[in-house]
Amino acid sequence: MSFFELDGLTKRFGGLVAVDALSMSVDRGEIVGLIGPNGSGKSTVFNCTMGRYTVSDGSIHFDGREITDAKTHEVVEHGLARVSQESNPIDAMSVGANIKLFTLPNSVTSLRGGASEKEIFRYAARLDLENKLHEQPDELPHADVRRLEVAKALATEPELLLLDEPFAGMNQQEIDGLVEKFEELRDEGVTMIVVDHNMGGLMRLVDRVVVIHNGTKIAAGDPEEIAENEQVRRAYLGSSEAM
Amino acid sequence: MSSDTQTGGPLESVADGYNDRFGHLFGELNGPQFALLIGSLAVLLVAPVWTSLLGVGGLLRTLALASIWAILAMAWDIQSGYTGYISFGHAVLSGGAAYTTAMLVAHVNPDLPFLVTAPISVLAALVIGLVIAVPSLRLRGPYFSLVTFVAGLIFYQLTYAFSGYTGGELGQRVGRIEFELAGAQVTTFDPVTRYYVMLVPMLVIAVALLYVARSNVGMILIAIRENEEAVAAAGIDTTKFKIWSFVLSSIPMGVGGVLLAHFYGTVNPLNFLLVDRSIEIIAMAVVGGMSSILGPIGGAFLVIVLREEVLGVFGVTGRWVALWTVVLLVLVFARDGLFRKLWHVLGDWGRIDGGDDE
Amino acid sequence: MLGAIGSFLVTGAMISAIYALIAIGFTMIFGVGGVLNLAHGGLIMLGAYGFLVVTSSSTVEFLTIPPIAGLAVAIAVGAVASYGLYVGLVEYIEDNPVITFLATLVVALILAELAVVAFSSSPRGLVNLAPGSSGGSLGIRVTNIEIVAFVVSWVAIGLLWYYVTRTDEGRSILATSMSQRGAQLTGVDLPSIKARTWLIAGGLAGLAGVFIGTLQQTSPVMWLDPLALAFIIVVIGGIGSIKGSIVAAYLIGYLETLTVTLLGSGFRGTFSLVVLVIVLLVMPQGLYGREWVHE
Repeated sequence: MSFFELDGLTKRFGGLVAVDALSMSVDRGEIVGLIGPNGSGKSTVFNCTMGRYTVSDGSIHFDGREITDAKTHEVVEHGLARVSQESNPIDAMSVGANIKLFTLPNSVTSLRGGASEKEIFRYAARLDLENKLHEQPDELPHADVRRLEVAKALATEPELLLLDEPFAGMNQQEIDGLVEKFEELRDEGVTMIVVDHNMGGLMRLVDRVVVIHNGTKIAAGDPEEIAENEQVRRAYLGSSEAM
Repeated sequence: MSSDTQTGGPLESVADGYNDRFGHLFGELNGPQFALLIGSLAVLLVAPVWTSLLGVGGLLRTLALASIWAILAMAWDIQSGYTGYISFGHAVLSGGAAYTTAMLVAHVNPDLPFLVTAPISVLAALVIGLVIAVPSLRLRGPYFSLVTFVAGLIFYQLTYAFSGYTGGELGQRVGRIEFELAGAQVTTFDPVTRYYVMLVPMLVIAVALLYVARSNVGMILIAIRENEEAVAAAGIDTTKFKIWSFVLSSIPMGVGGVLLAHFYGTVNPLNFLLVDRSIEIIAMAVVGGMSSILGPIGGAFLVIVLREEVLGVFGVTGRWVALWTVVLLVLVFARDGLFRKLWHVLGDWGRIDGGDDE
Repeated sequence: MLGAIGSFLVTGAMISAIYALIAIGFTMIFGVGGVLNLAHGGLIMLGAYGFLVVTSSSTVEFLTIPPIAGLAVAIAVGAVASYGLYVGLVEYIEDNPVITFLATLVVALILAELAVVAFSSSPRGLVNLAPGSSGGSLGIRVTNIEIVAFVVSWVAIGLLWYYVTRTDEGRSILATSMSQRGAQLTGVDLPSIKARTWLIAGGLAGLAGVFIGTLQQTSPVMWLDPLALAFIIVVIGGIGSIKGSIVAAYLIGYLETLTVTLLGSGFRGTFSLVVLVIVLLVMPQGLYGREWVHE
């Protein structure tokens, strides 16, 4: 079994089938891109994986363990972390406190555990946030808020990172910077699944691409192949999105 | 923001000394804030002396009562103030402990010593707390509050329905607190001893809850209040922590209930389970400043002193009208709490130079 | 035996109508403004005491009017007090649900204590609008005041239903309850709608106060039981749903009548409260949720 495996994953919302018997796998150390037009079910896949939605059918396995019905915190404890599409910082707490929260152990008796100030500084520095530790999230520019989301996810020391539109709202320079960070992470052994609309950033980063449309996989392969793939082009053009 | 204005140079040094040693445990203070805390502590510790010097012996009784309510208010705060799951029936916990003591004495053995009835009663409060918390904490905010409110109403009615056991409207008598400590007999017959029997637990609980509140557990509880989803994404089981906050709350509530029972000498529905009592606890915490542990202490003392000493001019019932009106005004105009406002004022008043130890 | 069942059915129906009256005002305010008005019971109490003041010669000697007119006074007192409560207090704090919850509860406590100051804590009886009883020939025990309460309650509910479904003003209340944002976008004046809703809810509460005060007791503690009842009914019926409130009111009304018949009046409220807790834990959205059921 591979490191991360979706087997016939299905998610229904009443009559609507958002994800339809989707199967895919990711090996350790890979960066896989998950692309598809709006509404194709990409975020739903992430939500099911992270335990935010209950799975209607099929299974999800991570590192040999089944996590289909696991709760969010359990999934994170197993070693997955997600950077959401919508940033979700804790506005009442500083940047440093936000990161610190994500290092805390899930134990009611641990009163002083978690990362040290030095470690928090390092988590922040990885995303160039080390000078903003005392600022509040709502004072940060958009790109920094996104970086904080990544820093928080990294603070849980994940083995698999789900990135949902990490480049959203960033300019080219910021995207390039973030792509570099992700490549560094890959070198450190973090496996990643990336969802994004920005093909430029994504295609450079990933080893392989999976394309989904209307909840099902319609193509898979390396970035160059997918860029040429007729079916994929039609799926995007059909939903008035240009590749 | 840098300025060389320092008020009270030696005061600041003492505060810094405290900060160095305890700051990372309890949070840092500046000079005036430190003075407020130490001053208040000193005043409370020697109250029997100055109340008798000033000839206001009745005030000692009021301060003892206020200490008990401070326990209840702090206990409410660590759960409701910190997690944001506001409980409107918290008197069930202290009332449950009080009634346990009363029923043990009335139906099991009138000679049961305090050191036996007290722990059992606190345990009862913990059990009641878990019974209420475990099923209800998965409900969203307003629904959770509703369940706790209704739980309070149910318990109140049950004391009348089972008046054979509970003594109904008149309630049941409990004796004084009496136990041996280091060879000496401690009894609440003596007003000074009684005062310390109420004050010391309050101080101990305050230190304990402050420690927890300023620790990672406190941070998690606050984060749950602010953004529960993000906390789950941090790999933390929020339900477990919410239940834990109930545990941390129920135990002091039990202690407070036991002390209150022995203070009044009688346990009845009016003084222990009426919805007004739950609201009083909340009012004290909110008036002082929710989610701070210290705020509720200030709020409790303010409300009790007002109620017992000041507002009596309006008459036995009129004082309640006056009290609730004061509470309402604070809710509308100072919803973050009066003590919190004071704390911030003191914080601004003290050292303002740009921190050099960061 | 038949007479007992008949009495049970009739009494249940009577009391349920009043309960519906209590619950509808409460659910309207929550539906429109998202506010749990814990002073609702207090408004009921104001209605009862208002009626007492103007109809009983024991309070203000020269000011004694016929009970029917007293009914109008009660409605007016409830409506004005409720409206005042909204524009004088709640409007400024409704952004914070916890503070609003607390503040309305404190207002209820203030009203209760004021009632003690003004009227003492002893329970009072109200001048009976319709003394005597009927139905003896059918073997059913029902008092005339119960019949009057039943009829008047349903008339009030009917008038309300007409108002919110057939008049523009009323429909804007309905619309706002379904979607505050949507209603705002179509140009309705939100504060004025809320104020109007509170006015109506207060009037209904005042009316209910007279009946409760007559059929049970008028006392400074009478604000709590109807409030708990309103909660129970509204949660079971679904917050914001008038139809749900009526259905749930009848469920609870009959459940309570059954409990009182079988177990005695000591357990009157308790069973319903237990039902509420069970519903909250099992089915918090209630019977009808937030959807309005169209005719």
